Amino acid sequence: MTESQAAICRIELPTHNEVEVVRRRFQGSEGPSVALVAGIRGDTPEGIRVLYEITRLLRQLPEICGTVDVYPCANPLAAYAGVQRWPFFDVDLNRRFPGRADGHPPDRVAYELVQNIRGADVVIEIRGAYRAFREICQAHVRAGVPAAIDLASHANVEVVWARTPDTMAPTTFAAQFDTVLVLEGGAGNRLSEGVGEEMTAGVMNVLASLGVVDEQAVPVHWAAIHRPRVVTDAEVLRVRTELGGVFMPSVQAGAVVTRLQQLGTVVDPVHAAVLQRVEAPVAGMVLAIREQPSVHPGSLVARVVADS
Amino acid sequence: MIEDIYTIEVPFRGTYRLQRLRFGQGGPRLVVVGGLHGNELNSVYALNLLAGALRAQAPVGTVDLIPMANAFGIEEGNKLGPFDDQDLNQCFPGDADGTAMQRVAHALFQASCADVCVDLHSGSILVEELPQVRLSTHGDGHELARSLGLPLVWRRQPRPGNRNQLVDCWRAAGCTAFRITGGRGASLDKRVGASVADSLRRLMGAMGMSRPPAPNPVLADVTDERMVALRCGTGGFFVPEVAVAERVEAGNLLGRIVAPVGGATLEEVRAPCSGMVVTSRLYPMVHAQELLLRLVVLDGG
Repeated sequence: MTESQAAICRIELPTHNEVEVVRRRFQGSEGPSVALVAGIRGDTPEGIRVLYEITRLLRQLPEICGTVDVYPCANPLAAYAGVQRWPFFDVDLNRRFPGRADGHPPDRVAYELVQNIRGADVVIEIRGAYRAFREICQAHVRAGVPAAIDLASHANVEVVWARTPDTMAPTTFAAQFDTVLVLEGGAGNRLSEGVGEEMTAGVMNVLASLGVVDEQAVPVHWAAIHRPRVVTDAEVLRVRTELGGVFMPSVQAGAVVTRLQQLGTVVDPVHAAVLQRVEAPVAGMVLAIREQPSVHPGSLVARVVADS
Repeated sequence: MIEDIYTIEVPFRGTYRLQRLRFGQGGPRLVVVGGLHGNELNSVYALNLLAGALRAQAPVGTVDLIPMANAFGIEEGNKLGPFDDQDLNQCFPGDADGTAMQRVAHALFQASCADVCVDLHSGSILVEELPQVRLSTHGDGHELARSLGLPLVWRRQPRPGNRNQLVDCWRAAGCTAFRITGGRGASLDKRVGASVADSLRRLMGAMGMSRPPAPNPVLADVTDERMVALRCGTGGFFVPEVAVAERVEAGNLLGRIVAPVGGATLEEVRAPCSGMVVTSRLYPMVHAQELLLRLVVLDGG
């Protein structure tokens, strides 16, 4: 196995400082090609941690079957600043795909990522939770792609969500490829205890299921790998507030709740009044719960997976 | 010669460099710093013009230019620095063992204490400032400040909130220190940049470092008592009727606060005295009590 590093895109800044978007390639004997990508948004450090751990694990192996391309941070300026969007241009890189070869730096990075990854057999994007939320480990795949759903079942997640592309999906990174897994979990802009380890084991287990690495390379025993439930959009219910205020959660991500169980309250802190009791619309499991408490009418505060 | 006087390795994006251009050698020594605030860019232009002049004619003594102290803030178009969102100009004299911004401040301060020190700024992104030099009433350098030939010399009482600013720390260290500002943030005014560059060449002439360009008259040389700040009584949409450098008489209409929806006049802003406009609010949405204009009372006004 060989390891190499290349800059897929060099961004020259107005001050003549230069920033590189890096690809680290592990090239083994014949086998599938896998691309692992993190840091498309700058406030998702969990994915960056996972690819750091994956790189260390791969280095310890004498051989792999196939190619693993690790893109440890697609949006280095945002990651450096710890913010979601690309600084200065203030654009969300995950709404710029497939990018433009003759565009501004975010568009060029999006373009180069797609050009470099196109042709990979499997693409895995690893990220943390959306910034306002805490989430259990989950995989998002595109509905109607059985290979992706099957692979995601090896990813050490509790839920595989087969999603129907929404109106924004065409410009996301994940929408550019067929067999693509998006792993997320933990908390926005935080490293959460245990989450990185779960995701690292999940990615290594996917590589093992593809035959790229040996089962022994997976850092946890196969029996400890989560066996996820596969759900569709219809089974994931979004819970929104009716009023603005401060949302105070009553349950944690992963909690099993009954129908109409209290998920939290929206309070008016100035008058010390409860404005709304937020209830579970169905019996099920809390996939995500809001931790950033400032809410407006219609703010998303939880996702609940309905019991089957 | 461009040299790195301090560097910090930062995650994901390489190296922060504090760079200095040095011209000449020996004494006297003049240091000019620009770009402490990343969205005040007239200084970048002014220092490039000055560097061109210094390449053509080496100075007697040493001139050090530090044009982009807050290089990462400049890249992001951000006044503040990228390290924990701090204002570099509130971190002086710095700390070699402190936060990243305090370390930058420490390195900059150590490298910049000289016979004469100048800190270049623009106005904020909200206002335009007449090109001016500000110095403390508690210190020397008044004649040197006048030698710059900028339209306004403003001798200010020390403000407690400024004690961690570069100019105040230079002065506390015994240096003759000025702050020059002019124009507006987040934009380039070439005329302002050129007049600042010319003023620095006059300063070098006054220090015996070079042959100065033709002198320029100072239009106003004042202390705080002759600076009149006009603030609005109500929030709204400010429509100015005067511009920077304009002379006004007592009672002149200077601007109106109007309702953003409907345009009804909420307040007329009139000159309380005769004078010259040295600061003008250009970003029109204003809150109650925000600064709209500054007038300087001229001799005999």
